[in-house]
Formats: sequence, C-alpha cells, structure tokens
Amino acid sequence: MTGQTGFLYPFIEPAGQDAGPLLADLAASARAKARESATLQRATLAEWADQLAACAAAMADRFAAGGRMYAFGNGGSSTDCATLVSLFARPPAGRGLPALSLAADQAVVTALGNDVGFDLIFSRQLIAHSGDCDIAVALSTSGSSRDLIAALREARGRGLLTIGFAGYSGGEMAAPGAADYCFVVRSQSVHRIQESQALLGYQLWACVQLSLGGTNGVSPRTPRGLPDGRAIISGISGRQSGPAAPDRGE
Amino acid sequence: MTAGIAPDLLDAGLAEDLAVTALALARRFHAGATMWCAAPSWEPHAHHMAVEFVHPVIVGKRALPAFALAGPDLVSQARVAARPGDILIAVSEAGDANAADLMRRTRAWGALSVWIGSGGPSGCSVRPPGGAADHILWIDDPDPAIPATGQFVLLYHLLWELTHVCFEHPGLLTAKTGGWPYNRSSGPAQPGGTGGYSVRPPGGYCADDVCITCSDEGRLGEVITPPDGPFAAALARTATGEELVDVTLVGPVSAGDLILIHAGAALARAS
Repeated sequence: MTGQTGFLYPFIEPAGQDAGPLLADLAASARAKARESATLQRATLAEWADQLAACAAAMADRFAAGGRMYAFGNGGSSTDCATLVSLFARPPAGRGLPALSLAADQAVVTALGNDVGFDLIFSRQLIAHSGDCDIAVALSTSGSSRDLIAALREARGRGLLTIGFAGYSGGEMAAPGAADYCFVVRSQSVHRIQESQALLGYQLWACVQLSLGGTNGVSPRTPRGLPDGRAIISGISGRQSGPAAPDRGE
Repeated sequence: MTAGIAPDLLDAGLAEDLAVTALALARRFHAGATMWCAAPSWEPHAHHMAVEFVHPVIVGKRALPAFALAGPDLVSQARVAARPGDILIAVSEAGDANAADLMRRTRAWGALSVWIGSGGPSGCSVRPPGGAADHILWIDDPDPAIPATGQFVLLYHLLWELTHVCFEHPGLLTAKTGGWPYNRSSGPAQPGGTGGYSVRPPGGYCADDVCITCSDEGRLGEVITPPDGPFAAALARTATGEELVDVTLVGPVSAGDLILIHAGAALARAS
C-alpha cells in the first residue's frame, strides 16, 4: 500500500472495487482496537486503583470544605475535561458538585492567549478564581503541554489539590512534585489514552460520590469481565505509531 | 447504574455498523461534504468529533471539514448550516428529543444522518427505530453515565480512523452498492425512506420511498413558506431542492412542519 494508513492495515488491498472485503476488514480492525482499548482500561484501573481511592478522598475533603474543581486541557482533551466537568456538576445520579472547565469561555481564553500568551491561558484564570480549598485537574496525553504545566505549578503554589492525567510515560506531569496525583495511561496512542482517561475520570467521580455519601445509584466500574489481549489481531495493534501532531498539544 | 466495564466494547453488529458508516462518510467527504456535529445533552462530544476530523492527531492525515454545532436551537442552526450532500452526526442518549428531531429533518435537507447513542429513557435500553437515521451506532447499555465513560469517544475515534482508511480505496469512494447491505441498523423492512414514518394516503399505502400503487415517491419535506392564500401552494425543502407543494390534504401548515410529499402534494404530516 502506498497510502498513509498502510502501516496500520497491511492486509487491505487498495485496488478492489467490491466494498465487501474492505468493510469486513474495517469491522475486524475496529473490534481489535476496541479490545485493545478495553484491555488498556483494565490495566489502567488496576494500576491506579489505590491512588484513585486516595485522590477521591482528598477531592471529597475539598468539596466538603466548599472547594471547586477547575479542569483544563487542550484540543480533544479540553472536550474530555468538559465531559468530566458535566459529570461532576450535572451527574445522572448522586450529588452535583461545583466543577468548571477553564477552556469553556472563548472570550477569556482568546483574551489571555492574545494578551499574555497561550502558555498562560489556564494559570492566569487560576490566579483570578482559585483558593486553597479548590482542585485543579489537568488532562493531557503528552503530559507536557506548557499551558497545563504552568497551570499545575500555579495551582500547587496556591495550595490547590493538583491532579494530572497523562499518557505515554507521563511527561513532565509525572515528574516528582509536578502534581499531587498523576494518572498515567501507558500507551503510545492518543486515542487509546483518551479512552482510558475518560474511564479514569468516571472512576474518580464515582469514588468521590461514594466518599461524600451520595451513593444513590452510583457504582464504580470494576475492571472485571474485560477481554484479555489474546484476540488482538497480529499486525494491527491499533497503536498509532505516527508522531502526534506537534501543535495539537493534547 | 451498572458496574463493570462491558466485556466487549464493540460487538460484531456495532463493528459492522461502524464500517458501513465510515465508508458512507468517506464517500460524502470525497464528494465535498461538510460534517456538522451535535450533542444536545453532552455538548463536548460535538467539539471532540469536530476537532478529531479538522485537526487529526496523526501528522499527514488530511484535515476534513467538520464543525460543532453548540448552544440553543440546534435544529435552526443545522437547517441553515447543512447543504445537500453534507453529513449531520448527533451524539445523545436514546430519549433525546432534540437529537431525534435533528436526525429526522436531516433527510429533508438532503444530508446524511448518523446517530451515535446509548441507553434509553427510564433505565431501559431503547434503540431508535430503524430509519430514525441513515446510520445508527448504538451502545445497548441503559447506564445514563455511558456518555462519560469514554465509549462514545471510542466510537468516534474509530469512525475517524476507518473513514481515513476508506480514502485509500478511491475506487470505492464513488460506488453505490457492494458488500454488506447498507444501513444495517435500519433493517430491511423498515420504512427507512421516510425516516421511520409511515403514511396511509387516500386510496393507497405509501410506507416507503416508492408507492406500490403508482410507483411515485413519498419524500420527506420541510415547509419553508406556508401558502399565502387558500388555493396557493407551500414552498418546501426536500433532499432534491425546493419545490411548491399542494398542502390541501394536510390542512394549515407552518414553517418547519415536516410533510410527506407524493406527486406534488403533501399527503400527511410526518411528526
């Protein structure tokens, strides 16, 4: 194959005119990647189970003291932040908790980006809004986005509880002292990292609800029942081995 | 709410639906479509889908035109935004009336509708009826927190990736048929041509695109301008453009009403 996805799908021939074989291969690879995603989710929840429980208890203490949660990220991670904020603030079960996305207001984000620089779009908001009973949650796949690292540094200096979500091997977020808790999803694929980060966020929310006693209808997702990796088809591991877009910065 | 990660995040049927939907998207993009993304109750998913297609995570992948629709009155926004040949993709739970309304109107606008969703009202899992959208990608799990577990993210990540794989097969981007039956999720016996609505006009039964008594079509239209007099026609938008329609049979209509058009006349309301 000459196309750019040839390395992902070496078994697909580009010359055919009948869509049947292509559709069959697409479906098979979709299932393989979904299994890989589930396997990674299971491994991630298992690796961080103790840290998740401790982090949720610390978050519950902050919420109980009147604190707010501020979440931030870039690109797709900013949308996953917003989903997490929705889950905390307007949950389908349990108590609503004060949570805000710092990427949500285009006036504030573009004003700060234009006037003081993109690296400070989140940290400057924390200076304006946050106090020492609040919580900062940074979502990144690289773990090294400069605006997030700057915001975590500001948050730590101001006494916030600091929580990072990262991928790959954790980046700067996983360095000692960068955050109180850093949950690293050990994958090289931006997509698979985001899928596991979403479940980590869900788990954190469920544990916070349990800690606050708002348990009505809320239960954490246990990593039982997941398929193992044996069915993943050789040669389509699903890892996106191409480099991440340098300026997407998630 | 359920505990545990689903044993299989993607069953065989959903994987087939994804594959068919990806090829349909690739064909539309190839022909110049813009994709409009909406998620009435979980708006961030609309933004995530749009950024996925506009600014791919893999260097060298082509940027595809996709916009998120956000804020109030998504139907009004989409009505103005969508051109014939475009794609409208919605993410929602089963009971979301806004998503259902968007999906059914999409056919009158000549666009392709894709509905990603889960669950159903009051704790039961209810998949939209066949024909509620051209393509339905459904997670049969009643847990109302599914939108926040990453499962929707997985679905549109895969949809993006499979769509790009289809671009490697230019010979298939203009084909009309081949492979599996398309619209598997719609089901062969459903009145898919009218968005799930059936109509019994005087003297005949026209539940599908083609009338069994006169072989003419029953097409979905959206009223643009009501008649300006008792004997005047309404101006309606359909998949093939704008046309004047006799609405005598259905009585007074207002802008935005959905009607089924057959041989130049509205035979029924579709609502």
